[in-house]
Amino acid sequence: MVSTPSTIPAASPKPALLPDQQANRPPRWKQFWRSDWYWHLFMIAVLLVTFVPIIWMVSTSLKDRLGFAEDPAGLIPRNPTLINYRYMLTAVENVPIYMRNSFTLAIGTALLQVFVASLAGYAFARMNFRGKNLILTLLIVSVFIPRSGGLMALYELMTFLHLRNSLIGLILLFAANVPVPIFIMRQAFLAIPKEIEEAAILDGASWFRVYRQIALPLALGGMVIVATLAFITAWSDYLVTFTMIDLDSQMTISVGIQKVLSNSYQSALTAPQFRGQLTGETSDAAMLLTATLPVILFYALLQRWFMRGLTEGAVKL
Amino acid sequence: MGRRVPSLPPGMRSHRQHPGAPVRGDDRTMVSITQTMGKRRPRGRGERTNPWAYLFIAPAVGLYLVFSVWPIFRGIAMAFTDFRFIYPDTRWEFNGFSNFREMWSDEDFWNAVRVTIRFTLYVLPATVILALILAIAISRVTRMAGFYRWMVYLPVILPVAVTYLMFGQLFNTKFGLINMVLRETFSIRRPPRWLDDPDYALRALALTDIWRGVGFPTLLFLIGIYGIGTELYEAASVDGATGWQQFRSITLPLLKPVFALVLLLGLSSTPMVVDPMLILTGGGPRDSTTSLGLYAYQTAFQLGDLRLGYAAAMNLVLGMSSAVVALIVFRSLRGDEGPSGPRRFPWRRAGAESTQTTSA
Repeated sequence: MVSTPSTIPAASPKPALLPDQQANRPPRWKQFWRSDWYWHLFMIAVLLVTFVPIIWMVSTSLKDRLGFAEDPAGLIPRNPTLINYRYMLTAVENVPIYMRNSFTLAIGTALLQVFVASLAGYAFARMNFRGKNLILTLLIVSVFIPRSGGLMALYELMTFLHLRNSLIGLILLFAANVPVPIFIMRQAFLAIPKEIEEAAILDGASWFRVYRQIALPLALGGMVIVATLAFITAWSDYLVTFTMIDLDSQMTISVGIQKVLSNSYQSALTAPQFRGQLTGETSDAAMLLTATLPVILFYALLQRWFMRGLTEGAVKL
Repeated sequence: MGRRVPSLPPGMRSHRQHPGAPVRGDDRTMVSITQTMGKRRPRGRGERTNPWAYLFIAPAVGLYLVFSVWPIFRGIAMAFTDFRFIYPDTRWEFNGFSNFREMWSDEDFWNAVRVTIRFTLYVLPATVILALILAIAISRVTRMAGFYRWMVYLPVILPVAVTYLMFGQLFNTKFGLINMVLRETFSIRRPPRWLDDPDYALRALALTDIWRGVGFPTLLFLIGIYGIGTELYEAASVDGATGWQQFRSITLPLLKPVFALVLLLGLSSTPMVVDPMLILTGGGPRDSTTSLGLYAYQTAFQLGDLRLGYAAAMNLVLGMSSAVVALIVFRSLRGDEGPSGPRRFPWRRAGAESTQTTSA
């Protein structure tokens, strides 16, 4: 665990190397030996072991019945085929409905939460009002209160409001998780210089207009972070969705996937054109991956924002 | 370096960062907010209330009150009723402490408590240690640190059901990858039946939960390590300290607040576990994986009269006891760095720690 001062540029307290010292630099292999290669080796080994399940999933989803029977443990399919995906899209009921519901839920949650949290975050960043600090502190403290006991109360509440079995209800429920998004939006607004807004207010613009037309476009980064977190949380949730939704027409893929998998033998019977070409394991793998793909894509595209969101203070996800 | 960093979180001594650390505009984190919480800032004078502000915060606060705050209080109240969902009239029929008395003599409840404790002991220490190791490895790396961070966090964002179902396939007795490898590579004739075996089911679930949960503490540790900066390590290596000594006397003690936070979050979430059992085993085989969270869930939503009241009482007990344990651990970790405690860092300015210690 030797620190490597040589990798730190400029501000290092040591004077820069003189030309003749540069000539005395250790040979290449020594430089390499002293560098951080063993940490890379360690990380790559760990990641390989960790991601074997996912790699196996991908490879299994690309095998047909024969390929799986020949080499079930193989991590690289010999004759890759897309038949499992074709089977899933044509023969398995409900998958398109579940996917659509998942997108509705995740996008709806993201939009509503961005709207609500940016309004509140703006108020906490720019306006003065009584109880401001108190409310903000209460919001942040309440993140740490364990609330799994609230699930029973939530069930009662949603039944009372006739919001069970409705995506709208779920959107409201997920979007209500506001403390972290408000905090992120507040940070985003605080980072903008406030002179423009003050000038606009002096010129007689309303607060809402200043927020809409000046502050909001400048806080785009914060909004992307909030939307990403909300999208992924809503898409990936299991327990709450499972509790609140039991109608097929409103179910999301993250919950419905279990049902699809346990019914997959039945669906195989209704699709004779695929008979004998795939097995339960291969089609299950394809469906699991499909249910995951949108979050992974989202996560990959927005990874810079996502990491910033987490480091800036998303303590709960 | 011309980077403008407006304020340093308490405990952070240097603007110089680890080589792989992300460049951030603002280093204030929620962690630092909780550390400075409860200290009064001087009130600005002559600040007038802007009525618009209440309009701006109304939607967020309204949603929060209805869907997050109300369930907390209603959940507590429900614990003192015998609310059975199929009899809506019983909603507000308080029955004092009889739910808790019933729990005391409920054999299944105690079984669930034992399962929960075992699960927590399997998961939490392993998660914390693994996360620390991963965080150290990532902080030592100059290039590709962003990629490693991305990969390590990936399991956390996967849909819960997908992760557990995937591991369900891995643990499959006949065609699961794990048993195939055990049979062929290690030539074990009869590998364990994992999820169908009462001795192994809980461990298999714990393994899955570790796989899923290690990313977040890793990130917290990583933020902590990046916050330490590189100056201390440079000073130490000039003085001839070995890598292990640096780890023992710089990294570990300075990461104490992060340890406290990780354990606080872990202890208040791991015992509540429901998902893996609900998805993979349904509590079986022979109740060996019925955690308290799952038992409460089944009582409320799957069994008999749907006894929400009794379930809420169990969840209250679970939540309170894990919160108490978490707070004890949190305080003991944060407490013994007090001003009267041993001074581990002679080179630290006197009083430099005061920002950290008062708030715990």
